[in-house]
Amino acid sequence: MNVVELVEVTKVYELPRGSVKALDNVTASIEAGEFISVMGPSGSGKTTFLNIIGCLDTPTEGTVDIGGENINGLDDEALTKIRRDKIGFVFQQFNLIATLTALENIEYPMILKGVNGHEEKSKELVSSVGLDEELGENKPNELSGGEQQRVAIARALANDPDIILADEPTGNLDSKTSKDIMQLLKDTNERGKTIIIVTHDPQVASYTKRTFRLVDGRIDSDGVFL
Amino acid sequence: MIFFEFAKRNLARHKFRSVLAILGIVIGVLAITALGILGNSVQLAVSEQLCMIGNELVVYPYGEEAISEDNFKKIEKVAEAIPVQSIGDKATLNGESTFVMVYGMRSEDIPKLLEKEAGQFLKHGSLNCMVGSRLADNYELRVGERAALQSQKPRIVGILAERGVGFDISPDNAIIVSDKMFDLMYNTTGYNSVIVKVEKIEDVEEAREEIEARLNKKEEVVMVMELKMIVEGIKGLFNTISIFLLGIGAISLVVAGVSILNVMMMSTVERTKEIGVMRAIGTSKRGILRMFLFESLILGAIGGVIGAISGFGAGFLVDVLILHEASYLFAPSSILYVFVGIAFGVGTSVLSGLYPAWRASKLKPIEALRHE
Ligand SMILES: Nc1ncnc2c1ncn2[C@@H]1O[C@H](COP(=O)(O)OP(=O)(O)OP(=O)(O)O)[C@@H](O)[C@H]1O
Ligand SMILES: [Mg+2]
Repeated sequence: MNVVELVEVTKVYELPRGSVKALDNVTASIEAGEFISVMGPSGSGKTTFLNIIGCLDTPTEGTVDIGGENINGLDDEALTKIRRDKIGFVFQQFNLIATLTALENIEYPMILKGVNGHEEKSKELVSSVGLDEELGENKPNELSGGEQQRVAIARALANDPDIILADEPTGNLDSKTSKDIMQLLKDTNERGKTIIIVTHDPQVASYTKRTFRLVDGRIDSDGVFL
Repeated sequence: MIFFEFAKRNLARHKFRSVLAILGIVIGVLAITALGILGNSVQLAVSEQLCMIGNELVVYPYGEEAISEDNFKKIEKVAEAIPVQSIGDKATLNGESTFVMVYGMRSEDIPKLLEKEAGQFLKHGSLNCMVGSRLADNYELRVGERAALQSQKPRIVGILAERGVGFDISPDNAIIVSDKMFDLMYNTTGYNSVIVKVEKIEDVEEAREEIEARLNKKEEVVMVMELKMIVEGIKGLFNTISIFLLGIGAISLVVAGVSILNVMMMSTVERTKEIGVMRAIGTSKRGILRMFLFESLILGAIGGVIGAISGFGAGFLVDVLILHEASYLFAPSSILYVFVGIAFGVGTSVLSGLYPAWRASKLKPIEALRHE
């Protein structure tokens, strides 16, 4: 089954000084369990592509199906539920909630969804992303970048989503830590999660099995790295 | 409740700012509560007096001449009337000489107007006297002792209860004697005032008109003072004062509200990115709205409770200092102001939080996420 199905998707941003075509007639299918990187020059539409899959943005034209469900025309409340239940986000700047401890950050999506036993599950997730259990009580500003990104990945996995979306997840990390994080994402993919990563770094892309290249909002080629 | 927890922690994150916002509410609520309680206590105090003497009229002679026996008879036809003779005189009490008011009243009228603290009231035609509580205290007078007035030495048979300054008579610093004794000592004719008591407070106006009609037919002979009028004038004045004071409280609450609005706007802007993240990972608009409303609710509740408690304390102080009486403080209508204060504090705060909360909840997730 295709977990992501984009058909002839165009995204136009209207600006005072004219319109910007961030995505231009993009068609793409992603199967469940794929590990994908999205590459391309700055401003080529990578983040826009990811945001549309992540139900943060809606296309100007074209249809989008996520997890078999068409999301065109869904209202804010429905899109919010899809983000909460079917999508996990990992950001370049980690974006943990500053007032919550690491464990609480991981629990938060489960609390939103009303999952039982979120305390136990968050502890399991902490160890599954290779973090010391004691660090669970730390606030984000008491963690290193790599540790924060591990927490962010655990948070993304909290509600057992269909897809993990990561926009330059190693962009703020040194190369050693980047490798650790990519290894963690690779392991996560091997346990069955669909993962899409936006990156500028070929090293990062080499962990993935397929690469989308974007140029000026168009998908240029489908490459397979092995 | 997760959003309540968020609200608490976000407020704790900026303690100084939160404390300042709370302080604004505290001041506003304190003002409203304290001033409300004070105004209410004054009203209660005045109303109490109004009930006691509001059904009285006092008739004074218009010119120098006292009210004649004839005129008194005319007054008596309108309603129950108590003739009073009075004069300022030098008395010797316990060996010390001092100026006192001397009232001459018919013995049977005295208990209608005054209460006694010790001893007896005067018997009909008695040649004894009663003394006011202040005099008794100051000169350590006891029942059975004698006072010296003119050439007489009336025995003190009773001490009056404290009554305060009255519109009719002020007995605290006075010696009360029977009409017979008064005539014996001063040999005057007529009365210095006549106190008229009507049955119901509503009849006061009619009685006054009737007395004036009967006595002031040809020329102004008497002047009728209506206590109800005076007391109501005072009541109205205090009413105006307390509304004015409440207005000051309300203004300080508005200022507090604006400062909360300001603080909340600041924090929505500062936290735009975080709101974006929360929305991205599945927080609903309602969740964001709640988080911010809880923040303003917490500010308002803390400020309101602290303000109301200190307002109650301030009301207590002022009551004791100005009214010398704290019992009005625990009247239900005074206690009500504590809750009115809290309600205004919470209300102002939540109202001020409404717009920032609404704006925060309306933020588009991707735009909020791009915010740095
Ligand atoms: N919210 C927006 N409003 C207006 N224009 C936008 C908006 N988001 C993106 N764009 C424009 O759309 C184009 C694609 O942007 P996008 O962020 O998808 O690029 P990107 O490939 O992620 O770039 P980078 O590698 O620098 O992150 C750019 O020209 C950008 O200026
Ligand atoms: Mg980008």
